[in-house]
Amino acid sequence: MLDRGLVREVLTAAARNGGDFTEVFVEERSSTSIRLDDGKVEELTSGLDRGAGVRVVRGTSFGYAFSNRLDRASLLEAAAAASAALAGDAQGSVVDLTVRAGPGTNRVERSAADVPAATKVGWLREVNEVARGVSPEVAQVVGIYGDSLQRRLIAASDGRWVEEDRPRIRLVAQVVAKRGDVIQTGWEGPAACAGVEFLDRHPPAVTARRAAERAVTMLDSIPAPAGEMAVVVANGCGGVLFHEAVGHPLEADAVDKEASVYRGLTGARCASDLINGVDDATTANGWGSFDFDDEGEPSRRTVLFTDGVLQGFLHDRGHAAKMGVDPTGNGRRESYASPPIVRMTNTNILPGDTDPQQIVRDTARGIYVSGLGGGQVNPATGDFVFGVSEGFLIEDGQITTPVRGANLIGRAIDVMSSVDAVGSDFETWEGVCGKDGQNAPVGSGAPTLRIATITVGGTGV
Amino acid sequence: MSDLGELVAIAVAEAADGEEVEAFATEGRQTEVSALRGEVEGMTFAEERGVGVRLIADGRLGYAYGADPTPAEVVAAVARARENAALAEPDEHNGLPEAEPFETLPELFRAGSAAVSVDEKVRRALDLEAYAVSRDPRVTKVELAQVGDAVARVAIASTRGVDASYERTDAWVVVVPLAVEGDETQTGFSFQVARGLDELASEPVADEAVDRAMSMLGAVKPATAKVPIVLDPFAASSFLGVLAGALSAESVLKGRSLFADMAGQQVGSPAFTLVDDGRRLDGPGACPFDGEGVPSGRTELFTAGTLNGFLHDTYTARRTGGDQRSTGNAKRGGYKGAPGVGTSNFFIEPGEPSFDELLARAEGGVLIRDVSGVHSGANPISGEFSVGATGLRIEGGTLGEPLREMTIASTLPEMLEGISAVGSDFRFFSSVGTASILIGQMTLAGV
Repeated sequence: MLDRGLVREVLTAAARNGGDFTEVFVEERSSTSIRLDDGKVEELTSGLDRGAGVRVVRGTSFGYAFSNRLDRASLLEAAAAASAALAGDAQGSVVDLTVRAGPGTNRVERSAADVPAATKVGWLREVNEVARGVSPEVAQVVGIYGDSLQRRLIAASDGRWVEEDRPRIRLVAQVVAKRGDVIQTGWEGPAACAGVEFLDRHPPAVTARRAAERAVTMLDSIPAPAGEMAVVVANGCGGVLFHEAVGHPLEADAVDKEASVYRGLTGARCASDLINGVDDATTANGWGSFDFDDEGEPSRRTVLFTDGVLQGFLHDRGHAAKMGVDPTGNGRRESYASPPIVRMTNTNILPGDTDPQQIVRDTARGIYVSGLGGGQVNPATGDFVFGVSEGFLIEDGQITTPVRGANLIGRAIDVMSSVDAVGSDFETWEGVCGKDGQNAPVGSGAPTLRIATITVGGTGV
Repeated sequence: MSDLGELVAIAVAEAADGEEVEAFATEGRQTEVSALRGEVEGMTFAEERGVGVRLIADGRLGYAYGADPTPAEVVAAVARARENAALAEPDEHNGLPEAEPFETLPELFRAGSAAVSVDEKVRRALDLEAYAVSRDPRVTKVELAQVGDAVARVAIASTRGVDASYERTDAWVVVVPLAVEGDETQTGFSFQVARGLDELASEPVADEAVDRAMSMLGAVKPATAKVPIVLDPFAASSFLGVLAGALSAESVLKGRSLFADMAGQQVGSPAFTLVDDGRRLDGPGACPFDGEGVPSGRTELFTAGTLNGFLHDTYTARRTGGDQRSTGNAKRGGYKGAPGVGTSNFFIEPGEPSFDELLARAEGGVLIRDVSGVHSGANPISGEFSVGATGLRIEGGTLGEPLREMTIASTLPEMLEGISAVGSDFRFFSSVGTASILIGQMTLAGV
């Protein structure tokens, strides 16, 4: 993407005030998005984006400057601006740039770029037809298709030269169902770092049907109860709970700022002994998978919990160096327009050996959560919330009436310690995580879990 | 390098017979400095520009964009938008607005702000952190102390004669201190936005954030109950985004708004008046024209609880028909997407009572200071919400025990109907604004 001599010149210019390392990140991204709404293909957008960022790092401090322009003058200007953040006078050195090759985590069989837009439009028409066919109560359907190819180059003063292409594909169905004055919604949106072969395994019709069924089911819902009770979280959903409640406070930047409930607890029991958790960017074609992170570190599978005992944190280069551990490949950025920060990749609770149906049968009273709308955590306090988009009452070991307007709230360590059953049915869920103003695609996964006691925030008192 | 005006003109000149073409271009520079432990934690300089092209042919809409495009790449973007339009379905309501005169709002640009040196920004960030950690022995660190500013220019042109541009400056300060006592850590948060760095006073922002962190120390989980609620301006502002979605004419036309059939009806309490005003200069969302060149205006969405109507762009106005016109609410996230209905300065009109008077009227209730999970726990289509909350008990007209790990839940219509009073302590938070709000009863879930 850029000449090696020029990159070396920029890295050297950025090191004029020293620093631990300097880095250049170059990106070119082409993308297609198509939106069907109200029965019509409303909008097709194609985009071409490119830019480069120059970063100078000392400890956990950094200077960062970026530009859309990739010419020599613009890059040297960015290097000058980034290096101005550091007060120093010793010129830093740049090691000879050597290509590092990756294992090919996100292989593509059929590239989205080779598929005509008309075919992609056809997938959305299918979403519309199938969803509307589920029930006459389906009132509105939105289908969104998106694909992108991000070409990245990361080079740094320690000699690393990494080039990696990241393909993404996602197909989302959002359905509104209506009965009289009652309006309910359903959502489904599988995603991967893959080519269009991904849709063979997640056909648009299946996505549409699931979203429509969720919306229609919720028309029969009653307001959720309020107060403490047992909650069974269906497979897939628990990964988001783990991501929010546990994953964010385990990011090393929060730990370093003493703004994490897990600070100082490595080696301590912080969760039920049924909890084994990992952050794993090496899963083939996972939504949060890659060969190298956005600092050029190889992707890893990082063990977070073993039998409930905290094993360690998620790191970028700067925080790993400060804490004297190896980087875990968790330095990620939304694009060239942002410096990398510590982020999760695919964050999973590993499966146990309990039959998931038995977990429900063993629950006298509670809520069964089978759809989620994401969540939020305060890493410093561990207080988190988790929106329930599809839930049911559990009465005498049976899943019964659907409930709406529920939310789960708790404290990370309390709730993870309260898990008293872990199923064998691992499933993943793909989302977009926001942190410090940057969005990142993240995967999460979990088997069916039961939390013995957690506060459900409904309206029924 | 071509200037923005040239780039948008190149795109418009590419229109073929029968095509409508609009080009929207932005360029901007932004600096952010954050301080941690008395040093610069991070400094980010951003410089970005781009052009987006919207093309309508036979009622079909296509869009394409390019980052920092050359003139040839702008021409290519028009061609890609044309290809995209060919695959979209025709919609007779697609169309670009005619050019209209607009008020230029030169106050949005402060030349002095654009000239503040980097060293000065660094000093301000370091001072902000130093001041925040000097207020109380229990507050010795921050999670974030940041100062930032931006200069931006927008240009738009179309085959309908739109040819407009404006410049703006923005500045902000944000601080998140940590209060620690024993094993417990609590966070506080405050921020301020203004046209220029010279208009920002860091100390009151830090004082407020420190107070918010300290007041949460010792928080307990309350019992589940229905109680009177006062939402402070921070908490109340969190709900405005959900209301905005439900008041977009696009949501209404597409069957995604609970308010769809309620125009002309008394939906909220008489204390509730909700306005969108893109020309109000003390609001950060001010702009002379919207994302398709329509002049910004003032729209009173609710007057004393009665729903008057909805926010419109050109498409929704045409589709609604009759004498409906765009309210100047076509908004864009940037050059990378076509405009859709959005808000400018979106605010609840303040009332008479002071904050203390609201507390006095909420005996036995709870002051909510922060809500979390609004993006996942509030549904703008059904109007139901359940969100995490922290706050303080109201006892004898004053603030008492801090509370955490609770939720508040209701529906938007019930909440609007339940507003007993809106306070006089109005402020803007980014582009939404509100005072404290007293709500009769809400379900608070805890133990």
